This record gives sequence, structure tokens and C-alpha cells, in this order.
Amino acid sequence: MDSLFVIGQDAVPGRFEALPGEPLRLTFVVLPGTSCAVETEILLARRGCEVDIAGLYLCDGDDRFSLKLNLRHDAGECRSRQLFKGMASGRSRALFDGRVYVGHGAQKTSALQENHSLLLSADALVESRPQLEIYADDVECSHGATVGSLDAQQQFYMQSRGIPREEAQRLQKISFLSPVLDRLPEALVNEVMACL
Amino acid sequence: MGKKTDISAGIAAGGEYKEGFVTQVEQDFVPKGLSEDIIRTISARKGEPQWLLDFRLDAFRRWQKMTPPTWGHLQLPEIDFQDIIYYAAPKRDEDRPTEIDPALLETFDKLGIPLHEREVLAGVKPKSNVAVDAVFDSVSVATTFRKTLSEKGIIFCSFSEAVREHPDLVRRYLASVVPAGDNFYAALNSAVFSDGSFCYIPKGVKCPMDLSSYFRINASGTGQFERTLIVADEGSSLSYMEGCTAPMRDEHQLHAAVVEIIVEAGADVRYSTVQNWYPGDAEGRGGILNLVTKRGICRGEGSHLSWTQVETGSAITWKYPSTILKGDNSSSEFYSVAMTGNFQQADTGTKMIHLGKNTRSRIISKGISAGHSQNSYRGLVHIGPGADSARNYSQCDSLLIGSDCGAHTFPVIRSANPTATVEHEATTSKISEQQLFYCNQRGIPPEDAVALIIGGYAREVLQRLPMEFAVEAQKLLALSLEGAVG
Repeated sequence: MDSLFVIGQDAVPGRFEALPGEPLRLTFVVLPGTSCAVETEILLARRGCEVDIAGLYLCDGDDRFSLKLNLRHDAGECRSRQLFKGMASGRSRALFDGRVYVGHGAQKTSALQENHSLLLSADALVESRPQLEIYADDVECSHGATVGSLDAQQQFYMQSRGIPREEAQRLQKISFLSPVLDRLPEALVNEVMACL
Repeated sequence: MGKKTDISAGIAAGGEYKEGFVTQVEQDFVPKGLSEDIIRTISARKGEPQWLLDFRLDAFRRWQKMTPPTWGHLQLPEIDFQDIIYYAAPKRDEDRPTEIDPALLETFDKLGIPLHEREVLAGVKPKSNVAVDAVFDSVSVATTFRKTLSEKGIIFCSFSEAVREHPDLVRRYLASVVPAGDNFYAALNSAVFSDGSFCYIPKGVKCPMDLSSYFRINASGTGQFERTLIVADEGSSLSYMEGCTAPMRDEHQLHAAVVEIIVEAGADVRYSTVQNWYPGDAEGRGGILNLVTKRGICRGEGSHLSWTQVETGSAITWKYPSTILKGDNSSSEFYSVAMTGNFQQADTGTKMIHLGKNTRSRIISKGISAGHSQNSYRGLVHIGPGADSARNYSQCDSLLIGSDCGAHTFPVIRSANPTATVEHEATTSKISEQQLFYCNQRGIPPEDAVALIIGGYAREVLQRLPMEFAVEAQKLLALSLEGAVG
């Protein structure tokens, strides 16, 4: 199953269940002007499931966005990947709360979760809560989270080659989002680009 | 036959928890329970001034309105706060208050703490160049190296003594980092704290030796509520160590301590803990409930505070040594190894609150869980709006030994400054089969191999510890691992 959700337009089910031999691929997009709290659960209850989730959220103005993702590995030999990229500007607030749960006996689990955020204004706030809760030993689980801003050295490099500052920043943002942008249809990519 | 059994029992007890002995010292208790009267009694027995009694009563009134925190990933047994003795002191001879009870001395000897300055100075135990403040149940029994320290203007004494001799300093700094109503256990401590250590390093003084507090719970049915207050004035530096043990008992015993550290401009404080409270038996009976609030503030420009902890003991650990980075260019580090086995539960981590410009922090946490234990890292990195160019790096690794334990990571990252950079990464895995095979194949038995691999895994933290502590910590880790592999 491969599903795309534009938050604010598409309803997100409260629960997804992965099936063996049928990779579950989910993509979430949040465009500026969206204020909401999304909460969903992804279940890997049978052996040999594969889940690949990605998302990007662009928060601006007075947006309040929170995403709560509860991924449960209840059966062994499953694999999950999560990648979330967020940008907060204006006076917006963005919260990512992602939990990876590996139940007792869910051996040979491989779970990876990443959440990267760019904080682009002094009045915005970014919060990230990547969580691991693990009750099985033969597993490989990891998560990474970063919060930062656009790299000034990269900007300088581009400016010194004649790219105006604003364009340089735009390129930086595109490259930041590109792993998720690759998964989107062209029309939506254009819509995202127009917001940068 | 009978004799043989005794010996094997002794070995078994020694192998599991060698500090599990009880010292027969005549002790002075206040009755069980907690009320304003009890607090007045404790305060009166310690001959405290009115302001301190008021502070205690205020904390008690706040505590009565509070409920225990439940957000930890812990299954806390219900604590009956009326079933605890809040004050137990080894009885002293009124005429000779400076003489240490020989039985007490023996206890500390068994623990390997050389309390006798004379012996140390005479070179009998030359390994120790450490000033020790030993706290036995509720009171501080001895502080060593007083003279050497006072020549430099350093104040290092028991908390009660500090209240008597340096009331202005205590009053100025007490509860300035951990307010009386900060949390449930801190409020309880503020109401009933019995003793602890006080340390003041004057401006520009580098403390010539490591200072150390040693805590031991001895009496049955008591709790320990010590309070440590460390003040490092401008440009000073200090390395402080804290160690703890308790006897083996079937009941749970409560330890609710508060540690406050104030670091002024340009000062440097290193605080190291090796926590080895009795962890309970193999079935999870008994053990210390270690519910501790530790917090430091880097008040001035360029100040530095470093926390290093090795946690192997306690049935339950609930502890988050934190730093408030208020001064510009101040920095802090947190290095932790938490090892849990049997039915131990640990929920520990740190908070780094960045308020000043260019503040930097680094978190390295290594969790090891074995048996049926649960080991969690919980942390907060907060970047305030004024923390321009603040920087944090966190790394939390967990190692699982056996399929019945749990390892968890619950970090919170909050940033309100676009010039700040925060990075966090965490991994969870088990000991690599390949590494184990490699060791075995070269004749290293599995248990030694695991100890070796764990030693390497925790090295980054252990090498931060002062020399003597590092040796002890390594031994403790190996000891806690016994029986965990198989």
C-alpha cells in the first residue's frame, strides 16, 4: 500500500496495519496554514512486515501543528523506516512526537527513525520527541533528531558564486526537503516549492 | 557441615553485594512518621535557627499539597510516608563528640574509606588524597583534611555545621537552584533533610584535592534525606565525588536527596557519582528507592559544570542531574553509565536548559540492561529564545543483555532560537555475537568477554571519572554483570 496524505485535506486513519509481503508506504505533507494535531498508530503485528514512512511539515504564521506517531513492532523480523523533515517560521509551533515500540519477543526487529527540523524565525518553536521503548534484545533500533538553521557557510559559498542570498536559501531548503519531495507527485512538489 | 554452609553463604552474599553488612551502633531515633511536630523535633535536636525551621515547615506544607510524580517509566511501590523514621543518628558520647565510634570506623574501613587522617598522613594508606565527608544515616560523622582545606579558605563540612558556622552563606544559597516546592521528593527532602555536605570554594581558589561525600544507610526502617550544597565562587575549580552504599534488607528504603551546585563566572566544577545502593535481591525484594533531585546552575560567564555518574545500585532510580546554563559562554556535560540487572528499574537522564548566549552542552548516556530490568534514558534539551548560537550534542546508547529486559529512550528537544543547533542520536542493540565469538575463540570465558566489551562500551564515561572512582566503577560493573550472561 502506498498512500499520501496532505494534512488538512485528507483524513488520516487512526490506525494502519502492515501486512507481510506488502510493504506499507506512507507519506505525510503539511503545508503552511495548517493548524491541527494528528495522531496515528502503525501496527506491525505479523512477522516479516515492512514499513516506510516519510513526511514533511512547513509551518508558518501562527500555525500550531503536532504529529503523534505510535509505531508498534509486536512481531519479529519486521523493518520500519521513518523520516520526518520540518520547517518552522513566523510564530509557528511544530511538535513531532514519535514512539517506536518493540514488544517482548519481537526479535530481529530493525527500526530507524529520523526527525530533522529547521527553525527559521526567532518567534517560532520546534519540539521533537523521538522515543524508543524496547523489550526485546536481538534488535537494531536507532533514532536521530536535529534542530538547526540554514548553514551560513553554504550560503556564503553560493553567494560567492553569484547566487543571490534568497535563492541560495531556497536551494538549501529544497535540498533539506528533497528526500521527502522525491516521494511526492509533481503537482504537489510544485505546491511545496511555491511555499519556500 | 554447619561451618561449611556458613562459608558458602558468606561467599554468596559477598559476591552479590559486598556492602550489605549492618553495623551495630547504638542509634538515636525520632519516632516514625511525618508531621510538623516531627520536623520541629528534628530541627530542635540539631539546634537549628528559626529561619531554617521556617524553611522546613514551608516545604512540608507545600509537600502536603503535592502528589508523587507518575510520569517515570517505573513501577514504584506505594510508599507509606508515615512508616519511615526520618531521623537516625549514631549515638555519641556527650563528653567526647570528636571521637568516632570504633564500630563506625570499622564500617567505613570495610567500605575502604580511610577516615583516619593520621593514617593517611602517616602514609599507611597513601593512595587517598581525598577529603571525605562521611554521612551515616542522618548525620555526618567525620570530615577529613579540614586543616589543609581551611588554609586555602575552602569550607568543607557537614551541612549542620555549616548552618552553625556559616549561616549567611547557607541562607544565601540554600534552595536557590532547587526551590523547596520544586517537586514532590525535593519538597520532602527540604522538610526533613537531616544532614549532608556543604562546600564553598572562594574566588580564584583551585581546590588542591578531590572532595568527597560518602553516604551510607545503616538503620532499618529509616530513610536518608541528605542535602548537598556546593558553591564555587568566581574563577575557582573543584572536583567532587559522591559514593553510597546500604545494607541488605527485605524492605524498601527511601533515599530522597537534593544536590545543589552554584557555579559562578569562570568557575569549573566536576561532580562525579558512583551510586551503589543495595539493589534488592534476585527476586526484586527490597532495595533502595533512589529518588533524587540534582541540579546545578552555571550562573556566570564562562562557567562550567560536568556531571559524571555510574549507576549500578538501587531497586529504583529516579534521577536527572540537570544544568541551567544561564551565563553566556557557559558549558556543561553529562556522562552517565546506568547498569540494571535482576528486577532493577532506572529512569535517569539529564536536563540542559540553555538560557545564555553561546552556551554548550554535551550528553553521553550509556545504558546497560540485563535480567528483568528496565532502563530508561529521559532527557530534556531546552534552548531558550535568548540562547544565541547555543549548541547541544546528545548520544544515548542502550545495550540489552537477555530477552526479558527493556531499554528505553525518551528525549525531548525544544528549541526557540534559530541560531542554535541541537543534535540527538540514540541506538539500541545487543552485544555483538562476533565480538563475543572473537573473545571466546581466544580463550576468554563468556563472562569476562562480556565484562570486557561492556568496559569498552562504557569507556567514554568511565575515563571521565577521577582515578580511584574509575577503578571502583569498573569493578562494580563487572560485579553487577555476574550471572547476567548465560
